[in-house]
Amino acid sequence: MPIIVNLDVMMAKRKMSLNELSEKVDLTLSNLSILKTGKAKAVRFSTLEAICKVLDCQPGDILEFVSDKNENGSGI
Amino acid sequence: MEIKITTPQLLKVLQLLSWIVFIGLCVEAGEIIVNAVITLTIHPPGVANFWKGAAYLSGLYSFDKGYFMVIVLIMSIVAVLKALMFYLIVKLFSERKLNISHPFNPELRKFILNLSCITLGISLFSHAGLKYATWLAKQGGSIPDLQALHFVGADIWLFMAIVLFVIVQIVKRGIELQTENDLTI
Repeated sequence: MPIIVNLDVMMAKRKMSLNELSEKVDLTLSNLSILKTGKAKAVRFSTLEAICKVLDCQPGDILEFVSDKNENGSGI
Repeated sequence: MEIKITTPQLLKVLQLLSWIVFIGLCVEAGEIIVNAVITLTIHPPGVANFWKGAAYLSGLYSFDKGYFMVIVLIMSIVAVLKALMFYLIVKLFSERKLNISHPFNPELRKFILNLSCITLGISLFSHAGLKYATWLAKQGGSIPDLQALHFVGADIWLFMAIVLFVIVQIVKRGIELQTENDLTI
């Protein structure tokens, strides 16, 4: 999928564990894990807002668009 | 005083009814198969032991053993398919795969798909049996009432199979939507 979730990168930058984030954002560990591993099909604005608030970042820091060509390594 | 019937209560009643119908269909299928095997292999006068009475298939048996065998074979297949259909329903209730909170799941889809295939099978065999019995009656074979042979209603079974196929497609879409909903964080 061309949308990459960089939640783990932001968590590493803020030195925050998944458990801690889960408590602060009020999301279950399994849901957070689904989001972190990129299995999620959609993210609610409210969830994104809570994550951005806790990690003190912008949505763009968590979500990244990578076109399929670049993802496969066949692009320029 | 108003009596409220809740979904679990209704499901309990349906489960009980399914068990009764399943047992009845098993007995019917067993009766046809056992009597046919006994008549054809061990004891020919056993043809008089069919539930519907001594005259039920005796005339056809004395007319021609081959025709009798074909009719009994089709009757057995239809009866077994009906019993199998209710076995699936009973199994669904007993294995508790019916999840009301997450109604659209692959098990439900498989269950309805199996039901529709079995229904289609019953329809085809009933239709074939009906045509065969009608043809046989024209040849002079002594055929009992078609209602008693349980071949009538092939068109209704076909209609039911098509409706079930449509429901399978709806459930398939429901599963997709539910999966998407589950994966929305």
